[in-house]
Amino acid sequence: MDWRKDIGLSNGHRPPGWPLPHGIIDRFWEEAAHLRAVAETLRGVFRRWGYTEFIPPTFEYAETLNTGAGPLLQEQMYRFFDRDGKMLVLRPDMTIPTARLVGSKLFDQPFPQRFFYSGQVFRYNEPRAGLQREFYQAGVELIGVASVEGDGEILALAVESFHALNLRDFRLVLGQMEFFRGLLDALNLPPKAADELRSALDRKSAPDVQRFITRWGIQGPARQALLRLPYLHGGEDVLLQAREIALNARMEAALDRLHALKRVLDIHGIIPYVTLDLAEVRGMAYYTDITFEGFVPGLGVSLLSGGRYDDLVGKFGPPQPAVGFAIALDRALRAREAQRAPLPRWTPDVVVGGPVTEENLARVDALRHSGHSVAWLYTATSPEEVWAYARRLKIPRAFWYGEDIRTWEEGE
Amino acid sequence: MSIRIALAKGRLEADARKLLQRAGLFPREETYPSRALILPGAEPDVDFLLAKPGDVPVYVEHGVADLGIVGLDILREGTFDVYEPLLLPFGHCRLSVAVPRERVDAYHSLRLNPNPRVATKYPNLTLQYFHARGVSPEIIPLQGSVELGPLVGLSDVIVDLVQTGRTLRENGLVEVRVIMESQAVLIANRASYRLKEQRIGRILEQIQEAL
Repeated sequence: MDWRKDIGLSNGHRPPGWPLPHGIIDRFWEEAAHLRAVAETLRGVFRRWGYTEFIPPTFEYAETLNTGAGPLLQEQMYRFFDRDGKMLVLRPDMTIPTARLVGSKLFDQPFPQRFFYSGQVFRYNEPRAGLQREFYQAGVELIGVASVEGDGEILALAVESFHALNLRDFRLVLGQMEFFRGLLDALNLPPKAADELRSALDRKSAPDVQRFITRWGIQGPARQALLRLPYLHGGEDVLLQAREIALNARMEAALDRLHALKRVLDIHGIIPYVTLDLAEVRGMAYYTDITFEGFVPGLGVSLLSGGRYDDLVGKFGPPQPAVGFAIALDRALRAREAQRAPLPRWTPDVVVGGPVTEENLARVDALRHSGHSVAWLYTATSPEEVWAYARRLKIPRAFWYGEDIRTWEEGE
Repeated sequence: MSIRIALAKGRLEADARKLLQRAGLFPREETYPSRALILPGAEPDVDFLLAKPGDVPVYVEHGVADLGIVGLDILREGTFDVYEPLLLPFGHCRLSVAVPRERVDAYHSLRLNPNPRVATKYPNLTLQYFHARGVSPEIIPLQGSVELGPLVGLSDVIVDLVQTGRTLRENGLVEVRVIMESQAVLIANRASYRLKEQRIGRILEQIQEAL
């Protein structure tokens, strides 16, 4: 393995590329430092809001996670076999393990329970907008609060997270699944038709909604409601407009809840960040009430998503209402880069050169104890070699502890 | 916050320009170099990006264009997570299965052909269509002149866009099934739709008024 020593590559001898599986990446240098910094920022925010950490297992029984996952997520799971032949899956999200933990182990402990997590999840999907097949999420789950105060806390925490990440001009788009479910009740159509309508609304396709109305012969107030639904997004006036098209008690109740939530959001001062969209139907398999997605300029996709899922904990134990969100950290990195947010330093602060002596070690220790990260370049035989190393790796300061002491700073 | 609109070059281009001119968004005078890929709009905060049709939804999905005009055929051939707020009244055509005239009887029932060779520019839509009918076709992906397939013995049938049917007739082909009706559609990036809600809303109104 001569090439390990001969890293000069002057003879054209380059190590072979070792391929990584599709959707799997190395994270190093800026990328690794940035990812950790973003995660640490969020963990700090979550802790300040009274959340404690849950570190779920990386894999568990397929049966367990299938219990909480919709068909789409099940399709995306990485499956493999334990030695005893039982099927295992890599966690495709952190919410299902949290629901399992609370439902099956912490069910008799005081509520509410607040958990945060940050780490990798695994999904077999096409890498898109920074999301690989192994990607990082940080998020929170508030379990045991059924009222709008819980929704308000989670939305305010989402806003706080954006601020903490130095992301500007973001928007949270708030949907309400119950409104749409109430509409489906009123329409009383076969499941196939409901899917058709959901797909049309999910694509914001007013023409397809119109076609749907014609095909299924929908008339009267229901027709009026459907025609207006694709345009029911925006500020507070949307709630008033929605009142006019509510067809039954379920839709009314969904709007009542949004009204109550609006009051809480007002107190948190986050109304300006929120767009309401009553035609938002994404994630219907999972969420029971409000849902939301977060967008920032510079990123064409959402980087935060969440909602209320009151049915999930009950699949693993005594039911508990729950609401939460997850941030896709890889997308947060992209958004921060697009917005030119300050990036963390990934190199040591200082590199030193010189022989290993007690005196030099004392100098290095002193630097380390004063909070600097210090790398020691043992191989350097001259200060110039240390400076060159620093320049190449963008280390801002360098010291030479030889016969004499010399210093170098970035820019010299 | 400016708005960038991706336009599909080719089949839809002229109609899309005319519509956007009527809407006051596209400049009336062709003052730009003919090979330019990014063109200024008639309003200062709007510009246009000319792209191959298949690339338009890619640009829009990734948010480098906020809006786009493309055919439904292209949009459905891929899986793009974009909004489709408006259908536009041009570019009407259909994606059809066509077979050589002398073999029409054999394709009276698709399912009686266990493994037809199908030449097409739309492998995904074609597979979906045949699979849904229990038929496993052998897809022969081509970039153009699909109707040549049966003539030169490359394929048994073709799946291609049909506007008037003239090209099919001239090549001795008969349309036996319609897979989908297509027309131009205005698509929007999901994030832009939220973050530039008012500007995009106004543009949608301008376009709707010009229809």
